[in-house]
Amino acid sequence: MGLLSILRKLTSTPERELRLLLLGLDNAGKTTILKILASEEVANVTPTAGFNIKSVMSDGFKLNVWDIGGQRKIRPYWKNYFENTDVLIYVVDSADKKRLEETGIELYELLSDDKLHNVPLLVYANKQDLPESLSASNLAQALGLPSIKDRAWQIQACTAVQGTGVRDGMEWVCKSIKKK
Amino acid sequence: MNLHFWWFFTSYLRPIIKWFLRKTTGLCELQRICYGTVSGAPRVVAVERSLNLSRTRQIRQLVDHLNDIADQKRFTDVNERKILKGAVNTVLAVKKINPKTHYQFGIAFGKCVEQIWGYRQLVAEVEHLRKICFDSDICEHERKLYDLWKYLMPEEELEGRVSKQWQTIGFQGEDPKTDFRGMGMLGLENLLFFASEYRAPAQHVLMHSQHPTYGYCFAIVGINLTSMAWVLLRDGTAKTYFYNISRSLPTIRLFHSFYSYLFYEFDKFWVQTKPQDIMQFSNVKEKFEKNIRTMLKNPCSNFKIALTVENV
Repeated sequence: MGLLSILRKLTSTPERELRLLLLGLDNAGKTTILKILASEEVANVTPTAGFNIKSVMSDGFKLNVWDIGGQRKIRPYWKNYFENTDVLIYVVDSADKKRLEETGIELYELLSDDKLHNVPLLVYANKQDLPESLSASNLAQALGLPSIKDRAWQIQACTAVQGTGVRDGMEWVCKSIKKK
Repeated sequence: MNLHFWWFFTSYLRPIIKWFLRKTTGLCELQRICYGTVSGAPRVVAVERSLNLSRTRQIRQLVDHLNDIADQKRFTDVNERKILKGAVNTVLAVKKINPKTHYQFGIAFGKCVEQIWGYRQLVAEVEHLRKICFDSDICEHERKLYDLWKYLMPEEELEGRVSKQWQTIGFQGEDPKTDFRGMGMLGLENLLFFASEYRAPAQHVLMHSQHPTYGYCFAIVGINLTSMAWVLLRDGTAKTYFYNISRSLPTIRLFHSFYSYLFYEFDKFWVQTKPQDIMQFSNVKEKFEKNIRTMLKNPCSNFKIALTVENV
């Protein structure tokens, strides 16, 4: 921290900070998405015990991304992170058809919470590289997303391990905030 | 500024000092290290630094040659003696050391070479194991998973391969296979070694993990500790541990022991911290890693595991 960086801080316009919440079942790919956003290596991801947080700059925004573990034991803690959330990002393993119902139930539970009222929703249809995966539009239908009327929402196909589609989702996030 | 000084030091001062010492003591730098520095990490680290800074052409070639061998995992029992002899003879010839009067140097230096490139080879081996994904179609992988259950839960029969019971040993869901993720078979082998080679301590840790207030997910935390052990090994921080403990060519078992040490110590640290809930994991892990790094910075640190002392 030199004088220059302090000066720079004083002169530049204060960036807007956003709080993004990454949720979804275990093994959906939340941490991988977080690492892609932070331009980190994704080959060595481990299951999240608790949570991870990273700050990334995007489109003039400072995004504080909270990645909370998805296993059943941790889900009761999700609500502790709802406060002041700007965008909810929900990650779904598009190939995990067995748990499609479970992921839907968890999603609607989130949407019915007062603290997340009106918060825009981005759903990542992750793992598009797997042969049995549902396409983004089929997944949106299966989850009943078109019936959501109380907030802006978007579904984005992605393959987080390859880094494809993740940034497109973030563009929507920044756009939806500017509109607000 | 530090960099400038370092550059100045290695380019000009170091050779002058080395020449001066060589003339006054009659010994080359490697000899002075091998005779004057205590064995274990302090000596091996000093020899490693000296070799890496060397500007003698033959020494540079020797270092590159040994790097290749270690990266290709060819530094094995059969080749080991030959490789070590070659390395020692090269240095004896280049530094014009009389092997008869300095036979002790040959032995000490050979041991350092064994540790330096044994470690490098271990990094390659561990990385290889990490890249093997857990695959339910491979019998050996499945067997190891069942073995893990048997060692951790000897009293309880597993009702099926896919079962909620896996959560009692801290996996996330009903099928552990997706939990190994980026750590692959390394994560499973680490857990299995801890559970089978350090049975009582592993049981003790498992019991802590099931505590109603201070509990955590044994397997998931274990896989996160595999990641920590792998990072410490790869960035060289763990050298202190390996150089001090290893008496021969370090093997994967030694890495598993290092992991077991970390797991046991992490559990102790977790219990001492009395975290509010599992959501504190990243914080606690970060602090723990910082402590371990500080310990590993001290070349004389001793990591003799207190595992066996404690009885459950």
